[in-house]
Amino acid sequence: MPRFFSNKRLILLLVGVIVLVALISFSLKDRQNATLPEQIVKDVVGFGQSIFSKPAHYITGTLDKIDGILNTYEENKHLKARLKEYAATQAELADVKADNKNLREIVDKKDSLRDYEPIQATVISRNPDQWEEKIIIDRGEVEGVQLNMAVITASGLIGKVVLVTPFKSTVELLSTENRDFRVAAVIPGEESIFGLIEGYDSTRGELIMKRIDSNFEVKEGQKVESSGLGGIFPKGLLIGEVTEVSTDDFGLTKLAYIRPAAEFSMLDHVMVVKRSSRVTSGTDGKVAGEEEEGEDGS
Amino acid sequence: MIRFIIPLIAVILFFLEPVFSLFSPISIADVSYTLVPRFVIVYLIFITAYYGRKRAILYGIVLGLLYDMYHIDIIGVYTFLYPVICYFAALIIRQIHRHIITVMLLSLAMVALLELLSFFFASLIALTSIGFEEFIVLRLMPTMGANSIFVGMFGYLFKRLIDEVGLQKAGI
Repeated sequence: MPRFFSNKRLILLLVGVIVLVALISFSLKDRQNATLPEQIVKDVVGFGQSIFSKPAHYITGTLDKIDGILNTYEENKHLKARLKEYAATQAELADVKADNKNLREIVDKKDSLRDYEPIQATVISRNPDQWEEKIIIDRGEVEGVQLNMAVITASGLIGKVVLVTPFKSTVELLSTENRDFRVAAVIPGEESIFGLIEGYDSTRGELIMKRIDSNFEVKEGQKVESSGLGGIFPKGLLIGEVTEVSTDDFGLTKLAYIRPAAEFSMLDHVMVVKRSSRVTSGTDGKVAGEEEEGEDGS
Repeated sequence: MIRFIIPLIAVILFFLEPVFSLFSPISIADVSYTLVPRFVIVYLIFITAYYGRKRAILYGIVLGLLYDMYHIDIIGVYTFLYPVICYFAALIIRQIHRHIITVMLLSLAMVALLELLSFFFASLIALTSIGFEEFIVLRLMPTMGANSIFVGMFGYLFKRLIDEVGLQKAGI
């Protein structure tokens, strides 16, 4: 039988394991901030990565277009049916907006939780070993991206920024299993119902909204938005639609399953959302640069 | 010039992995299957088999370190796994005939081993809560399927290329 390890190799292996365990525990401790070498590696590798990702997006974009052309007839028929309804809502929306603006001027309130500036970004890679749902985008600190900002696509909220380097940033998607990932959400209606998006059911493919006051009645099919009360996200980013309502483990509050509005696979163009009104640390996370004492979320 | 082609391909594969993972997860009948591209380790096994163990382990450490720093943000996971897998592959390859089919099968077996080890690590530090059975059905099997297509398409090409470089080197 051949010997598996010689003595020298065994020692080398053991030393290697010790060094690696030390490294792993060191880097697990603080994953929100990248050290300088990490930042350099991220930016340099990210630059190379974007050279490969851009043509790939071009190819998938072209395939999507072909697919779109093939579906044109069906879609057109469907859209025609919706068109009349759309025109009516559009008119109403314009009316309501103008009204809202007038009323705001009367009460002299300029800030709105809803206002935000979008920063356009392209997804350059997804974490290939998909234990964590993370993507990397080609905008960083230089372009104004900051920690914990919301990231959306045209169809809705997809996640938040968890790591920023000068030219790239890492985004954690809503479909993460990370327990610390919370979004302050609201179900708008005659009376707003507040809750927290907390957790993802991977077998159902749905988000879980917890801590809903049991006095309120939540119906299936209601839309869920970000509430803007978490401190960093603006108000009114669409998250999804309620599919099932039940009570939580202790029966004290309600819990709703939410089908996300955005798709989490095949992401290409996303927007990082920079809230216009003041940001504070809260359930959405800590504001970059703010000290620990400012934290009031639990 | 030809000296640089082996590391160049390793770097290209390293950059292609995250592009392909943008397609994942694929949902078929409301069940989402995760496909994990493991091109780099397949290529490293081919280097181990046809070029040299030391070279493969060196590339493994460098690419593993980049992988950890860029994607995982936990330094030390793949920096450890890539070279160890190459070392195991080298131990096995010594006992068997270096036919292209056996090397292909070996590289697939090593992809499975890598997936298994990364699953244990992810469970250990609570990155995932999926059970072992779920892991096998939803992740390991689709991953093996996708990677066997890759090995089938490019395995022979890798062997030819690495052989060519080896011959050139011997000629000089």
